[in-house]
Amino acid sequence: MRPLQVPEEEYLRRGHVGCAGCGAVIAMRFALKALGPDTVVVIPACCWGVIAGAYPQSSLDVPILHAAFATAGATASGVRAALDMRGEPDTTVMAWAGDGGTFDIGLQSLSGAVERDEDILYVCYDNEAYMNTGVQRSSSTPYGTRTTTTPREGWKRTRKKNIMETLAAHRIAYAATASIAYPEDMIRKFRKARDLKGHARFLHVFASCPTGWGVPSELTVKLARLAVRTNVFPLYEVENGVSYTLNTEGDLPVRAYLSPQGRFRHLSPEDIQDIQRMVDEDWRLLRAKAQGPPQRARLMA
Amino acid sequence: MEIHTALSKQPAVLLACSTLSTDTNMTGTWRFVRPFHDEKTAPCGAACPAGEDIARIQMLTGRGAFRDAVETILLENPFPATCGRVCFQFCEGACNRASFDDPVGIRYVERFLGDMALAEGWARVPLKEPETPRKAAVIGAGPAGLSAAYFLGLLGWSCEVFEAAREPGGLMRWGIPAYRLSKDVLQREVARILRLGIVIKYGRTVRPQDLARIREEYDAVFVGCGLSRSIRLQIPGEDLALEGLDFLGRIRRGEVDAVSGTAAVIGGGNTAMDVARSLVRLGAEPIIVYRRRREDMPAFEHEIIMALEEGVRLMELVSPLKANRDGEDIILTLQEMRPAGVGPDGRARVAPDGERRQSLRVRSLFTALGSSAAPEWAPPAEQSQQLLRLGHITIRNGPAPLVFGGDLTNETQSVTDAVASGKMAALALDTCLEEGWERIIQSLGRARVGPGPALSMESYLGGARADRNRTVVSFEQLNMDYFQPLQRILPTIQSPEERRAGFSEIEGVYKKEEARAEATRCFNCGICNECDNCRIFCPEVAVEAGSGRRILLDYCKGCGICVVECPRNALSLEEEAS
Repeated sequence: MRPLQVPEEEYLRRGHVGCAGCGAVIAMRFALKALGPDTVVVIPACCWGVIAGAYPQSSLDVPILHAAFATAGATASGVRAALDMRGEPDTTVMAWAGDGGTFDIGLQSLSGAVERDEDILYVCYDNEAYMNTGVQRSSSTPYGTRTTTTPREGWKRTRKKNIMETLAAHRIAYAATASIAYPEDMIRKFRKARDLKGHARFLHVFASCPTGWGVPSELTVKLARLAVRTNVFPLYEVENGVSYTLNTEGDLPVRAYLSPQGRFRHLSPEDIQDIQRMVDEDWRLLRAKAQGPPQRARLMA
Repeated sequence: MEIHTALSKQPAVLLACSTLSTDTNMTGTWRFVRPFHDEKTAPCGAACPAGEDIARIQMLTGRGAFRDAVETILLENPFPATCGRVCFQFCEGACNRASFDDPVGIRYVERFLGDMALAEGWARVPLKEPETPRKAAVIGAGPAGLSAAYFLGLLGWSCEVFEAAREPGGLMRWGIPAYRLSKDVLQREVARILRLGIVIKYGRTVRPQDLARIREEYDAVFVGCGLSRSIRLQIPGEDLALEGLDFLGRIRRGEVDAVSGTAAVIGGGNTAMDVARSLVRLGAEPIIVYRRRREDMPAFEHEIIMALEEGVRLMELVSPLKANRDGEDIILTLQEMRPAGVGPDGRARVAPDGERRQSLRVRSLFTALGSSAAPEWAPPAEQSQQLLRLGHITIRNGPAPLVFGGDLTNETQSVTDAVASGKMAALALDTCLEEGWERIIQSLGRARVGPGPALSMESYLGGARADRNRTVVSFEQLNMDYFQPLQRILPTIQSPEERRAGFSEIEGVYKKEEARAEATRCFNCGICNECDNCRIFCPEVAVEAGSGRRILLDYCKGCGICVVECPRNALSLEEEAS
């Protein structure tokens, strides 16, 4: 086995108040390792609004601007303008929002920022529900999920919104998915996005949530890997909204990903078949858009 | 308007700005399970009779730290170049990689390291000094006797070895054909053992009646004189047959140039294969005559395959009844056998198949049916408080403790088992004299590698390996997400035609890059190879690198990601004491 190559630099402080095994924390840790110290982070309401530290503490070694729920795209645009005025155009402005702040509440401000092609990097760390307020469903919550607002037999029967396609439809310069289970791939994409200066860029990061998903905390990374290996969360990149590159192809049935999770425990074999069909359909659509076959059959971690 | 003015003048005043870090929060208090680095035992090392730390040897070899790898071997086995050639690789049979693609070429790597150690002159020096000088007598300079002397030498003893022959090595010298082990390699490995100050006295046959006098002169005695009595066929005409081990010895002494015609070799063990394969090289056409079937043979499968490739023929299910001289030929009369269930020992049984007989005309006849101890050297059989039977040795207490070892006591007759016997003897004797007879069992228990009998010198001396968990890591306990199939690398190997042409060594040796690449295939089951997955994925930045990896319990919330993402099961979780 070749050891993973991850930069040594650390911008995440110990003692943050994220849950044990939080995938979103691992995501931030890798993101800042990739981007480096010349970064300003804009955080709307989300788990990270808490994890970043209660005043007067901060858990990051880079500046953070907390923003209102709906305003990550707009606030990041403003910070960009301010930095440019101060003569600091090289500083990366990263909006760091959860799926609620991206798929639902902040969608208009994200859409506006991307349409204006603001020089910002917008990251959605996706844990597929409003987690820090008590696991309420979002439009990112996948089909079949139980949350506190889709409880018992009322489990969610609509599909997860395809945010990547939304962004691709904006003809955004660069959009990519990334997973905490594949740090090298994730860091490469963050650096590629950082270096694509002058344009709006979007990264969709899969960040498993043991607390909200009903899984043991030690499975955080394993689940993120299974999401990729079952094509539930394919790793791919889109340039200018039209040029698709698939990074990998799954090799396992969705059951392998669903069965360890409490939020899917109620699903019958038929329900799981339905989900398999949806995943297969999404994968076919994605394959059809990609120029070539997946770069690799399977990514090694 | 006033507010607007205030803002434009002093915008920072109204922005709350954090100035402190979260690292004063001791989030470790949240934890109810605690991860810890918990190195475990790899199946290869537990299967190795010599208890070599194979997972670590592969790790070091993969990094190119060849000298460290050699020293790791030499702590547990004085014969890496020899075992790298002739060992039956119990390790590879246990290798977890076999459940993934192919086992790691552990023996090939060992041969590479063994040859490099000889080329570079790398050796071990004594590791401790006894409080009072200790002196041991060793009977027999075979693999067991030399190993006993070597390990006692590492423990600071001085040793004298009494050997009846004029050269050292025992069965390694006289019983293993040159195509498997060259004389040069053996001599150089023995020379390295002697660098510990060990003296071999050649041409000195020790008789049982000499033991009492020897026990007066030395602090301990090791008897490793091997099995000198060949098992006989007990059929009429048996004296027409040459005994297999004697024949192999004559070849190695250069007394046999050629053998022509058909030769029958009776037996199905590794010696039968050695005899038949040697006969091929001498120009004969050997037929192995075996009373059971190929799959029942005690010979190792690899040896059988090599023999058949070289043109050795095999007659199964025939048992010799008599041998008659017919001019220059010998007529062997054979009873045909048939399978008859399984015996109480788990081996297949055969029974005569009625009156069906065959005769076989051969020019020469060999027997290779195994050996037993000469009666005067049989290990003591009585039950006594002053006698311990410990698997690889039998030890009798006394002013000078007496150990029977090597093939006299080993269940499996192999060089590596002989090394195991020598090591067990050394550790038992050292304990007996330093701590007392009654401490032997406990002391050997501390030195155990895994659940089997293999012992480790490193553990005996309280090295890092002593703290390792004895639990053997299974394939299911590894995290295969981090591995991809990789082809096993083979060294060059002679074609059957090349092999038939002479007694030169069959197998080549890895080049450096091949050894590194093959060693890198190893999962390093149970040991930390500093891959850093625990550190990389920790959401708390609570794993620190240094020598080894350290978990910062002030911050660790006990999520357990490090334990799951460790590819090789070198961490465990335990419940936090409430």
